Amino acid sequence: MTPALEAYVMLSAALFAIGFLGVLVRRNTLVIFMCLELMLVAASLALVAFSRFNGTEDGDVFVFFILTVAAAEVAVGLAIIVALFRARQTIQVDQLDSLKH
Amino acid sequence: MTPAQTALLVLLSPLASAVLIVLFLGRKGTAASALSVLASALVALGALSLAFGGQRFAVSHEWLRFGAFSVRLGFLYDDLAALMLCIVGVVGLCVHVFSLGYMHDDGAKARYFAGLSVFMFSMIGIVLADNLFMMFMFWELVGFSSYFLINHWHEKKAASDAAKKAFIVNRVGDFGFLLGIILCYWWNESANFADISADHVYSRLIPLLLFCGAVGKSAQLPLQVWLPDAMEGPTPVSALIHAATMVAAGIYMLCRISALVVPDAATVIAWVGTLTALYAALCAVTQRDIKKVLAYSTLSQLGYMVAAFGLGSVGGAMFHLTTHAFFKALLFLGSGSVIYGCHHEQDIFRMGGLRTRMPVTFWTFTIAVAAIVGLPGLAGFFSKDAILVLAYERSPAVFAVLAFTAILTAFYMLRLWKIVFLGKPRSESSEHAHEGGLSLTAPLVLLAALSVAGGYTGIYGRAFEGVFSLIPEAAGTTHLVILATSLVVLALGAGTALAFYATDGTDALESGYPGVFAFLSSLRGSFDKAYDYYVAKVQQRAAIALNFIDIVALAGVAVRGFAGAVEIVGFGIRALHTGRLSSYVYWFLGGVVVLWAFAAGVL
Amino acid sequence: MEHIAFTGLSVFTLAFAAGVVLSKNAVNGAMCLLLCLAGVAGLFLQLHAYLLAFILILVYAGAVVALFLFIIMLLDMQGGQPVRLRGLQAFAGAVAAGLLVTGLNLLAVRGRLFDTPPDGHSVGASLRLYSYQLFTTYLLPVQVMGFLLLIAMLGVIVLSRRTREPEDAP
Repeated sequence: MTPALEAYVMLSAALFAIGFLGVLVRRNTLVIFMCLELMLVAASLALVAFSRFNGTEDGDVFVFFILTVAAAEVAVGLAIIVALFRARQTIQVDQLDSLKH
Repeated sequence: MTPAQTALLVLLSPLASAVLIVLFLGRKGTAASALSVLASALVALGALSLAFGGQRFAVSHEWLRFGAFSVRLGFLYDDLAALMLCIVGVVGLCVHVFSLGYMHDDGAKARYFAGLSVFMFSMIGIVLADNLFMMFMFWELVGFSSYFLINHWHEKKAASDAAKKAFIVNRVGDFGFLLGIILCYWWNESANFADISADHVYSRLIPLLLFCGAVGKSAQLPLQVWLPDAMEGPTPVSALIHAATMVAAGIYMLCRISALVVPDAATVIAWVGTLTALYAALCAVTQRDIKKVLAYSTLSQLGYMVAAFGLGSVGGAMFHLTTHAFFKALLFLGSGSVIYGCHHEQDIFRMGGLRTRMPVTFWTFTIAVAAIVGLPGLAGFFSKDAILVLAYERSPAVFAVLAFTAILTAFYMLRLWKIVFLGKPRSESSEHAHEGGLSLTAPLVLLAALSVAGGYTGIYGRAFEGVFSLIPEAAGTTHLVILATSLVVLALGAGTALAFYATDGTDALESGYPGVFAFLSSLRGSFDKAYDYYVAKVQQRAAIALNFIDIVALAGVAVRGFAGAVEIVGFGIRALHTGRLSSYVYWFLGGVVVLWAFAAGVL
Repeated sequence: MEHIAFTGLSVFTLAFAAGVVLSKNAVNGAMCLLLCLAGVAGLFLQLHAYLLAFILILVYAGAVVALFLFIIMLLDMQGGQPVRLRGLQAFAGAVAAGLLVTGLNLLAVRGRLFDTPPDGHSVGASLRLYSYQLFTTYLLPVQVMGFLLLIAMLGVIVLSRRTREPEDAP
């Protein structure tokens, strides 16, 4: 019994949902960021599964791009967080609400 | 020069005079007065030459067009217009010449003469107009000129109040007039006097609405309140505008629209005229101011004209208008001469003994009084009798009232004549009264001649045949009845007045019958009081209610309500900006769900 | 055999993903993330994407998570706060996540989880094939990626500049 495509997709969905939950619930900006990465990983898992089950390599190649983008995004995002920390002395998301009306 | 060009010249020369005075001669009173008199002479000459030259014409040009609706400007020069134009021209010239002397020492002569010229222009426009829209334009202009001229001594509060009153009351009448014009145009597809007819649904409403304009302009009941107050203006103005020409414009307009008047409307018109005549005559009996007596007399005579028209005769109305223009202008100019001679004294009980001191004025004034009371042989006799004949044949009730009013007319005119001219001088100013110069007396003589001769339609030749052929003629026994009536009326009224009133400086009615006097005096103010009550109680309250609605509904609900609604929406949207990351993510998810539903075909 | 591996790896992955979300300490969270990535790498291996699995470990687990750890150490060493999941927020979060899962699965899954073998044999996951694709079909995205990386580098440099005080020496 091999896992069907649907199994991988469900797994990917579950992983994505966990990451999403983390983004919603956690107050530490860095942890939120990590959950964001979880979501990206989930997406790449789904892509690889599809590429395997369709017999092409397009999905795999796309994962390359995802990895690149994730790396760049992490770099820039962490730089922003550090700059924010320097300005506000905090990284708790509920204290970073100066865009509030 | 074609007749149309002459008419155009006649129309535009007073306008040119007014414009030149306003632009260049603002401070040069003498030059302004000369220019204005010159323009008036041109008008008179032009009018007479056109009338007696025998040509009648009609021209028309389109001025404005909005789709199917067009406003045309044109001249309709028929016998009616010819007659009216001559009256305006001749009386206008007399008044202009008189003003040279009367206003000689006035500080704002140029302004006065500019106003007179504007008035002449507007009045000629009304006379020559060939359609209701053009007439309405000049109608309003005449109203403005009247306001301007009454307001000549604007430092006096009474004068500016009177001017405002005149304009506003006229406006009320003009509202009805405009409604009538619009309805008439709507039903007839044309506002041209030649094209309108009376066979449609609103056949009674339209003439009555148009009559509203005449009620305002010719000061009939209930809009007569402005005319006595308008005596605040200089006397020549009163002579020209409020006796001979402007107030007659209402009658002229009625004659123009005579094709529209159906019998039901005519009855209403006749009774309005009759009641006005009676009311004004009653008010005139107790007046102290010489000009006010003449003002009420004008009201009364206008009532006669309107009644004549209402009884169905254009000729009767126009004939009386002609003779009235002559003798009323003469009366006013004569009173102007008296006022000038007595150094601007206007109370008749402070005059007296002027017979010997101002002979020319005395004799011309006497002729005018004789004309207005209907002494046989003078102009007023013929025109008044024509109206009485008409009333006798058409409506006995109107005849009775008009006859009684004639008695009153004789009564108060003789009262005036006796107290002003006979007896001994009752004040310093009348003691030293003197005749004015030639410019004051020459017009008086001319008008006196016209008052004598103007009633004999033969002297006009064939010029105004179209109008004068419509004058009611008595036949057979009616002739004698009317003659007898008018003689009785004359004797009764004149005799009573001459016997009753003494020349000792008191009003015999006041001292003898105080109750009657008080009643008659109160008549004068009754309309004003009614209007005051209406404005203060009804109109003010309506205005306050509307103001309240404006504040609450319009400003409050509509304007601030909208602003409030926008604020609330803004409030709601503001609440979305929490600044918290998680709430933004929730909204994001919400959007994604919507897109999914869309994609899955659920939405 | 395969499905045991699959089940085990998936449980492993999901457990440590939950660990990331629920851990009090950010460093613990980073460690959980690391292990979660290891699980995903295993799943990649099961899907015959061997190169990708190793690249995942190298890039993601090696560089990205390391960077995370650096920053956490820099900023967050006062100790984590307990994850106080306030009632409404927790509920809302659970609902949201549940919605997500349901939505995704409704769209994708049509019933059987463990039946169908993959149709078609896997393409040999070779570098040569990948690079062929990268240099022909996906050339444009490659260039765009290059550009993106350049921008990211510039952005990071700009962001990490200290705001100059006026009296600082240049």
